[in-house]
Amino acid sequence: MTDSCSGFKGIGWRERIDVRDFILNNYEPYEGDGSFLAGPTRRTKALWEKCLGLLAEERRRGGVYAVDARTIAGITSHPPGYIDRDLEIIVGLQTDEPLKRAINPWGGIRMVEMACNEYGAGLEPAVCEVFHKYRRTHNEGVFSVYTEEMRDLRRCGVITGLPDAYGRGRIIGDYRRIPLYGVDRLIEEKKNDLRSPGLTTITVDTIRLREEVHDQILALEELKEMARSYGYDISRPARSARDAFQWLYFGYLGAIKQQNGAAMSLGRTSTFLDIYLERDLRQGAITEDEAQELVDDFVIRLRMARQLRTRAYDELFAGDPLWVTESIGGMAEDSRPLVTKTSFRILQTLYNLGPAPEPNLTVLWSKSLPLPFKEFACKVSYDTSSIQYENDDLMRPIFGDDYAIACCVSAMRVGKQMQFFGARSNLPKALLLTLNGGLDEISGAKVAPEFYRAGEEPLEFGPVWDGLTRMLGWLAGKYVDTMNVIHYMHDKYAYESLEMALHDTHVGRFMAFGVAGLSVLADSLSAVRYAKVTPRLDSRGIATEFEVEGDFPKFGNNDDRVDSIARDTVVLFDTELKEHPAYRDAKHTLSILTITSNVVYGKMTGSTPDGRKRGEPFAPGANPMHGRDTHGAVASLASVAKIPYEHAMDGISYTFSITPRALGKTPPEAVSNLAGLIDGYFAKGGHHMNVNVFRRETLLDAMEHPEKYPQLTIRVSGYAVNFVRLTREQQEEVLARTIFER
Amino acid sequence: MEHCRLAGPGGCGQGDALYARARRRNTLADRCTQEHEAAGSVRGYIHSVETMGTVDNGGIRFVLFMQGCVMRCAFCHNPDTWLRMGREVTVDEIMSEVLEYTPFFEASGGGVTASGGEPLLQHRFVRALFERCGGHHIHRALDTAGYCKYGDFASVLDCTDLLLFSVKVVDEEKHVKLTGVRNDVILSNLRLAAARGADIVVRYVLIPSVNDSERDLHDIASLVASLGDRVRADILPYNRMGVVKWRQLGLDCALERVPEPTPDDISRARRVFHECSVRLRTD
Repeated sequence: MTDSCSGFKGIGWRERIDVRDFILNNYEPYEGDGSFLAGPTRRTKALWEKCLGLLAEERRRGGVYAVDARTIAGITSHPPGYIDRDLEIIVGLQTDEPLKRAINPWGGIRMVEMACNEYGAGLEPAVCEVFHKYRRTHNEGVFSVYTEEMRDLRRCGVITGLPDAYGRGRIIGDYRRIPLYGVDRLIEEKKNDLRSPGLTTITVDTIRLREEVHDQILALEELKEMARSYGYDISRPARSARDAFQWLYFGYLGAIKQQNGAAMSLGRTSTFLDIYLERDLRQGAITEDEAQELVDDFVIRLRMARQLRTRAYDELFAGDPLWVTESIGGMAEDSRPLVTKTSFRILQTLYNLGPAPEPNLTVLWSKSLPLPFKEFACKVSYDTSSIQYENDDLMRPIFGDDYAIACCVSAMRVGKQMQFFGARSNLPKALLLTLNGGLDEISGAKVAPEFYRAGEEPLEFGPVWDGLTRMLGWLAGKYVDTMNVIHYMHDKYAYESLEMALHDTHVGRFMAFGVAGLSVLADSLSAVRYAKVTPRLDSRGIATEFEVEGDFPKFGNNDDRVDSIARDTVVLFDTELKEHPAYRDAKHTLSILTITSNVVYGKMTGSTPDGRKRGEPFAPGANPMHGRDTHGAVASLASVAKIPYEHAMDGISYTFSITPRALGKTPPEAVSNLAGLIDGYFAKGGHHMNVNVFRRETLLDAMEHPEKYPQLTIRVSGYAVNFVRLTREQQEEVLARTIFER
Repeated sequence: MEHCRLAGPGGCGQGDALYARARRRNTLADRCTQEHEAAGSVRGYIHSVETMGTVDNGGIRFVLFMQGCVMRCAFCHNPDTWLRMGREVTVDEIMSEVLEYTPFFEASGGGVTASGGEPLLQHRFVRALFERCGGHHIHRALDTAGYCKYGDFASVLDCTDLLLFSVKVVDEEKHVKLTGVRNDVILSNLRLAAARGADIVVRYVLIPSVNDSERDLHDIASLVASLGDRVRADILPYNRMGVVKWRQLGLDCALERVPEPTPDDISRARRVFHECSVRLRTD
């Protein structure tokens, strides 16, 4: 290779596309503390100040700054845009103006029409015409083949939030390949793949793959063109740290211009970028201030990324998230920590620029991480509530040491695996369908077969559980079928050619299913088993209320009587899903995650035997139900840790909120207790923990005076939001959650 | 949790009746525990557990709030633990729960704290539990007001790693008024524990206008200073959380109108301790 690789070690990564090999050969683990870190430069402050002004204006305009309703988004759709040309070090915007959103009709034209309508942007008639008349979208593709049964299940909300009207996301391009290899080399490799025996034997599968690789090459060509419009030639590898940040960002930018995916995650870039920063620092080309400035500038860009979405979408995924998830730290398989100075630098952005929900900073936590890094991360959590933690010791044996998190909790090997995202099924609803012989308790419509039917006498656990298992078995089949339809159509009509160009041609696939309302289900079944639950039938003969006499164990108190119900349900549903083959031989996985849809799922669900009333929200993710975990945070964590990751390999989300005082008397004590809490939870087999440290009063005040809290960030369910951008209803739900106090 | 609470002798007319009932139950309970020879089956009455105690002292702690207390501190913020009621448990039951949390203890330097109520009212239970914890190298803290026979106290102290000893006020007359009991036994227990070389934190709930006069502060600070280098002090600002519980229990809180101490009150108290060369836990 050319001079750009001078000073780099290793051979394997030069011979083939292998970013991991490059990292392991060249990175320098850092075991010290954060004392080397630099604050923001004057330039950074000026640029961020400008952005804060734009963000305030965006809020004033109701959440959307501007919409370009004429130009269909694409890698090269818009001329270069700048925030402030004199202040920017890294450049590139999705459109010609910061925060201006583009239209992306490939997922569905109706969503675009609705969004333009809601935000008062007149959609260009020609765009409507093309997508109604000449070009089918993913959304139309799906609905052209959905069966009536699928539509019913979707409508009643037992399977919902499906990516059948919007971009599926959750695919992480290996954006590091661009600085490391330059785009020309990547194109060359893709062309080689097209010549390989695996792709020249013609079958239905290879025809599809050949067409996809063809599109990938076109996308890479377009990416070069987009970079050229900003004055950069990314056909060659990066020569400096600044190049490396710029090249990598262009890759990400191309992806978010081409795709409006639900979660557009960044991957695991900080330790990779550290190699370039440290080389430049060693050579005296930059100072620490300049190194931090690059990281800050990069993060500013990630904070300004936007997609056009509808208000209904916002109910599912509140706070306008993009899930620019960056995975930080973790351990290498050779036992060295993958923590570098840039792992610190990226967390430092939360101080230099203030807290923010994006990028979604995710620490891959291992028992063996250097203590100073653990403490630094926990201190940042304590101060900003902007970090989530995931168990590297649990994931590394499965995904190796170069995986990253897509969205909230979904692990995949970067550039080698992708997933077909599939939202979730509503477990409490499935229980109600069981009790009502397949009738939807809200509409009264028949949407599922009858396996059991509750009468007016008290429920007996045995028959209820038996009916539920059969219902879940049946539902699993329908769920897999529905997902197969969705992803067939997404590949066909809204293929992510740039993100996939940054994957190996032969990629491993997951099909990621999910469940919502696990704690409501477990508590409901516990009530049936340990208390006396008598259904009250309405005039339609449907159980709409339940009379509960006596107490019963509740999930979240480390009580095996109920925790085992949660565990068994997860194992059962996961096993049932695997009975049904998935599209493109994808491997089935399951998440216990709701995003913020726990509110809207609750709305669609009648009263449940645990005492939850019709319409009330579920707990988020795998959380115990609000206020029912009464034995303290550790007991709550111990319950959640019992859910086996091998049966929920798409992640088990737990959101934890505690007051600063409850975490420890002094800030250093609190920080050290937090590190102990995470260590303890992960030693018990826990997977994920969102950490919030706040006082209830702060949130209440922010509800009344949002203007005082423009950057108040809280973690909700696998991601973070600006609290003031949540709807009132969502804010109230956050406040209703268990906040551990002393 | 701060051990605290004080008595409101003057305050609650019902105090005496409550007290008598509590005494009857205590005797019963003690008889109960004596009947069981094996340490694991010793029974105790607990109010509740908190699996993430962080305020008592280092690390994440499993805090066992024992039911029952004979003192009636006017500033008690757990008056619901006074009576010997609550859940009956065996040492085995509690131990099996405690063992589930060892990863948290190990990671944070935490352990088990027996609090209350007054844990020493159930000294056999606490001793049996602490012995078992010791066998698993789990750190043990005892959060007590020290109002019991020295023999009972010492039996628990033998298997305690850290003693959190709450002194309400040094002046005896004030003590009676504040807690309903004299403090001679309490102070002698404290001195004996210190003489044995126990690791002690003396906790002092700072209550404006009740025990924060110059003299009160000087008395407590010089008391702690006299106990030797190993003994530290911790000033706990009174908080009004308990007042709500008093109301819920239908009791009149004698401190209804007493405010929480201001930062100035707290630094004044800290200064007195420092003047007497007392190490504060937070130093």
